[in-house]
Parts: sequence; structure tokens; C-alpha cells
Amino acid sequence: MISRQSLIVARWEFLRFFKWKQQLVSYLLMLAVIAAIALWSFFTDESQQQYRIAVPQELQITNTEQFQFQRPGIALETQLMQMQSDDSWHAVISLHDGQLVVHTVTGKKWLQQLDEVLQKHYRHLAAQQMGLDGAQLLALEQPVQIETRYLDQAYKGKDTPEKMIAIGALILLFVGLSTAFGQVLVSITGEKQQRVTEQLYAIVKPQQWMDGKVLGHSFSALKAMLTSALVMLLSFAVVSLFAKKTVDLSWLDISVVLWLIPFALLGVVLCASFMGAIAASIDDPNNSGKSAVMMITWLPMILTFIVIDSPAGMGMTLLSFIPLTSFAAMPVKMAMVTMPWWQPLLSLLLLLATVYWMRRVAGRVFLRGMQMYGKEPSWGDIVRWALSNKTE
Amino acid sequence: MQLIVTAINKAYSSVHAVKNVSFHINSGEIFALLGPNGAGKSSIIRMLVGMTNPDSGSIMISYQSQHYDHVPRRLLGYLPEDRGLYPDKSIEKNLLYLAQLHGLSKSKALSEMEYWLDVFELTARRHDELKQLSKGNQQKVQLIAAVLHQPALVILDEPFSGLDPINQEKVVLFLQQLKAKGMTVILSAHQMAMVEKLADHMLLMAQGQVVLAGTLQQIQQQSQNQRQMKVGFSSEVNAAQLGQLDAIVSVQQLQARHYMLTLAEQASVSDCLKQLLQYGELTQVEMQSADLHQLYLAAMARHKPEVAL
Repeated sequence: MISRQSLIVARWEFLRFFKWKQQLVSYLLMLAVIAAIALWSFFTDESQQQYRIAVPQELQITNTEQFQFQRPGIALETQLMQMQSDDSWHAVISLHDGQLVVHTVTGKKWLQQLDEVLQKHYRHLAAQQMGLDGAQLLALEQPVQIETRYLDQAYKGKDTPEKMIAIGALILLFVGLSTAFGQVLVSITGEKQQRVTEQLYAIVKPQQWMDGKVLGHSFSALKAMLTSALVMLLSFAVVSLFAKKTVDLSWLDISVVLWLIPFALLGVVLCASFMGAIAASIDDPNNSGKSAVMMITWLPMILTFIVIDSPAGMGMTLLSFIPLTSFAAMPVKMAMVTMPWWQPLLSLLLLLATVYWMRRVAGRVFLRGMQMYGKEPSWGDIVRWALSNKTE
Repeated sequence: MQLIVTAINKAYSSVHAVKNVSFHINSGEIFALLGPNGAGKSSIIRMLVGMTNPDSGSIMISYQSQHYDHVPRRLLGYLPEDRGLYPDKSIEKNLLYLAQLHGLSKSKALSEMEYWLDVFELTARRHDELKQLSKGNQQKVQLIAAVLHQPALVILDEPFSGLDPINQEKVVLFLQQLKAKGMTVILSAHQMAMVEKLADHMLLMAQGQVVLAGTLQQIQQQSQNQRQMKVGFSSEVNAAQLGQLDAIVSVQQLQARHYMLTLAEQASVSDCLKQLLQYGELTQVEMQSADLHQLYLAAMARHKPEVAL
């Protein structure tokens, strides 16, 4: 299983990229950016302001909180001149052959809101002309309530909290795999560039080295996922407090979360092994196109997201059993559909076997890549090594 | 410990890098692999380290009554030709990491590290990041990394390269210390003066083949026909033209108007002097016994004449 050397490499790799001060600063920067965006939105929110709109005498429109409709009794040209020369009017409305025309200095976001107010006014006028009273008009404007009832008792529903957990899990996997992607690439190709690899090769077996790398960067990815999850929950709590609501975490289904952990763990290890194999085949990252292939590891999440609204469909079922995608699909499916216990267990075992195979492949690619020193292997070489049994 | 290498061959696509090379090394010896770039030294070292396997031939090692067909990692300390550690980590962190990978406990690793840092006068800089050190000091750290775990066999690829003469002398002392501690050392080098002081046995290689092998004395005996003559001219002469003479195999300029000549096997001294007098008046003529550097140059010249000058 995992050797002492692999654990030493894993610890070294984890700590090498664990810079808590920098991470804290980056989180603070992220919060500062969010706060700045919120402040910017607040100060530029045009809906909070009042606008003076000049309308023709015959337009009997009621004022709203946002719009003050005034009938100035002066010529349209004068109104337009006033609008251009000072702030008398934010917009001037005129009627030409029954057609409503809005004059304004330039494009503004609040014009959409003005448009809505005008539309509503004219709908009311039309309703009155048709002899409808206020209650009838209100009934017309109400959307129809449609309830969907599902015969499949296993399906938990469309917009349930479980779906939020599933989407949250996919986002966290993205975070984790992005972390692993950067670190594995920098760590392995960096060591090659800094000429450390040959030294290490004389000390530890290629498989031990690769296991340590994969484990170390998987821990980093899990740490990133955990901290992101905590930041998400913290943000949720802060938003709840500001909205003067109690912090309600009853939607957090612990049984789903418990299944999520082994799938996420193995998924991250699988992807880190794959990334390790690709990175080990790169001689010079500046002149290799292979690093882009590492982004394939994001595909399982994208494919799962596409079929997230059909959790019991063929697509999701297929994805949840294929070991290369099951780490993303099965937790999502489990969150949204009640399943017999053996299905996630079978999927987990298949995933475990694939993880074991992938780490062996990564070790073999590293070994053979080292033996080619200075020459980058072709895709054909990599496939041949993946299928061979040579470990030393 | 005994290492026996028998008739190993290694080819990379069209290049036959190592051709039928055999040697053996006894416990506690310092063994030098000599030769110009591309001679096959690093290929042999990579096979000894296990990074590549020989296409044919064998590498056998005996240690404490155990026999292996490769050098076990636990017995090995290695300084690669392409050096490098983690530049953004301190000397201490780098060394402790490698020592622990070698299986040393933290306390043992610390005491070994402190000993070797003291030898190389780096104790005060143990917390400095590697990138803050000079190239020479970085090389010393790399040497320490190779021996921290007290391996039975230390393989050093070009340990003197990139070092100034003072630090080269320090490395000589370091290697003598390793020998005193009972470690067997294999090194590759170009610095003949250093190798002459250190090596018990040596192997001179050219184009993947063994050119000369044995102790310094044995090599000198093998090359006894290789006579050296130190000559001085009253005026400047063209060294390349001297090299063209039938009686002379190689020419090495020592200082202005003074040259070390290696005589051809069949040539007599009087023939040689007659030919030299065509180029000017001789102020000095002195027969010399060849040192390793001259033997090396002569051997290379015999093997590939164009490297003589």
C-alpha cells in the first residue's frame, strides 16, 4: 500500500504549497472584491433615484415612487431644450399619431423600468376600454400555478435543497480540481526543470514518488474544497443574519454529505493521478501542448451539469457508473434520487479500482519518462506504457 | 562491498554510447571515470544508478554477503550531472527532506546534517534559501545530500565542475573523508590533477570504449612508450605546426615558447630534435614522465587525433 517514503513526499508536497498567510490574504482580497462589487452596485443603483418625466396633458398616468409624471404645458421643443440645458426633465414623452415617443439625452438603465410602467398603464387603459374591472385585470395578470407530480417515488423533486447540495458539490469539485491542476503541473514539471527529479529517482521508487505527489496534491485539493465549503456556509450565515433570518441548515442532508466525501476523495485522487501522468510526460512545460489535456478532468463535472435536470435519465445513470465520471455524477444523482444502497457502493468500488490502475499508470509514465531524459514521449509511447506492467 | 560490471553495452537510437565496458570496484575505493564529453561516463553512471538498464552485460553488487543484480537505492548516494534541489527552501529543509526519504530519523538526519555543514563551513547559513547561495555553495549542499545517509556506494557525476580551485580542494578533502569512513566512491571528472590525488583506480574512456584502465601506476606502465619532452624555443613557434611533425603525437603549450610534446612510439629523440630545430633555436630540452593529464591527452589523441590540441 502507501509506503513511508510516499507519505514523506506527500507531506512535503502538501506543505510546499500550503502558505496560510498568502491564502488568508487571498480570502480577504476575495471578500474585499465582493464588498467592492456590492458597494458599486448600491451606489450605481438607478432604481433608488426619482426621475421627472414630462408627459402630454392627455396622458393621465399615476406617479410611482421612481417616476414623477408632470404635465408642463409648454411646447415640446421647449421641453426638449430644457432637458438638454438643465436637469428639468429626465425624459420627455410625446404622442405622434397615437404612437408614444420617449425622448431622453442618452441610454440609461432606468428607461427599462419606465417602459414597464408605461406598458402597465396602457394595459390598464385597454382593460378599462374592454369593460374589465380591477379584480378582473389582476386575475389576468396573475401567472398560472402549475404543479408537477412525479409518479417515480425515488425522484426527490426539481428545485429541492438536495439539488443545491449537488450543485454545491460540483462547484467544490471544480475548486478542488483546479487547485490540483495548477499544483501538479507546477510541482512535477518544476522539479524536472530544477533538476531535482534525478536526485529523487536515486532515493525513492518511481511509484512511491508518484503516490506521494498524488496524495499530497489531493490533500491540497481537499483542503481547498473544505475551506471553500466553509466560506460558502459562512457567507450563507452572514447573509441570513443581515436579512434578519435565523441560520437554517436543516436542508443539509448529512447522509448525502457522507456519501459525497468518499466520492470526492477518490475523484480528486483519480484526477490528480491522471494529471500526474500527463505532467510526468512533459519535459518542458513552455514547449509542450500536453498540459491542456489535464483540463479533461473538468469534463465529468460539465457532463453531469448538462444532465442535472434529468437525474434519473439514461445520461446521468451512465455517468454515475462510468468510473471516470462517477465521482461527479453519482453524488449528484444520490442527492436528487433515492437509490438502492448497492448502486453507489458498486460505483464506488469501480472508482476505487480505476484509481488504483491510474496511479500505477502515472508511476509507469514517470519511470519511462525519466529513462527518456530530455526527450518528450509521444502519445503512442504513453498509451504503451499505460498498458505495460513495468514498474522499475 | 564489491561492484562488478561486466561487458555492458548501451545504445540510444543510432548512438552506441557504451561499448563492452567492464570494471570492478572494491570496498572503500575511489574509482574515477575519465573521458571527454560524450565518452559514455554519464551513461555508465545512469546504468549504475538504475535509471537505465544495459542492453547487454551485467552489473553485480555484493554487500554484507548479499548479492544484487542492480545497486539497491538504500546503498546509494548520488550526485547527478544535472544538479538541483528546491531553490525556495532552506538548506536545512532540503537536506532533512532528502535524509528522511533515505530513511533517517529526524534526529539522526539533524546530527549528520550538522556534521557535514560544519565540514563545508555552511552552518551559519543553514536557514538560508538555496537560491540565496552561490553556485559553489549550492554544489556543496548537493554533495552533502548525496552522503547524509552514509551510503555504502557514492556516485558523483562531475563533482568538481563549477567550483573554484579552493572549493575543488575542499571537495578533495571531502572525498578523502568519505573514503576514511569506508564509503566506496565512483566519480566522473575532467580535472586530472584532482583525480590523480584521489583515485585508487580509474577508467579512461573515449567514444564509449575503455582506452586505459587501472591504478595511476598501471596506466603509466601501460603508457610507458609514451615519452614526454619539455622543450623551450628562443622565439615563438606555431604549436599546430609542431603537432604535424611525424615524431610528435600531441603538443601542449605550457607557457610562452615552452611546450610539452608527446613523442610518437617509433620516433627517436634525436629524430625529434632534428625536426624541432627546423622551427628555431632550442633553449630547453627535458625528458619527463607523463602525469595523468598528459596520459589522458595522449590517449585521447591516439583514439581521436583531433582532440590533441
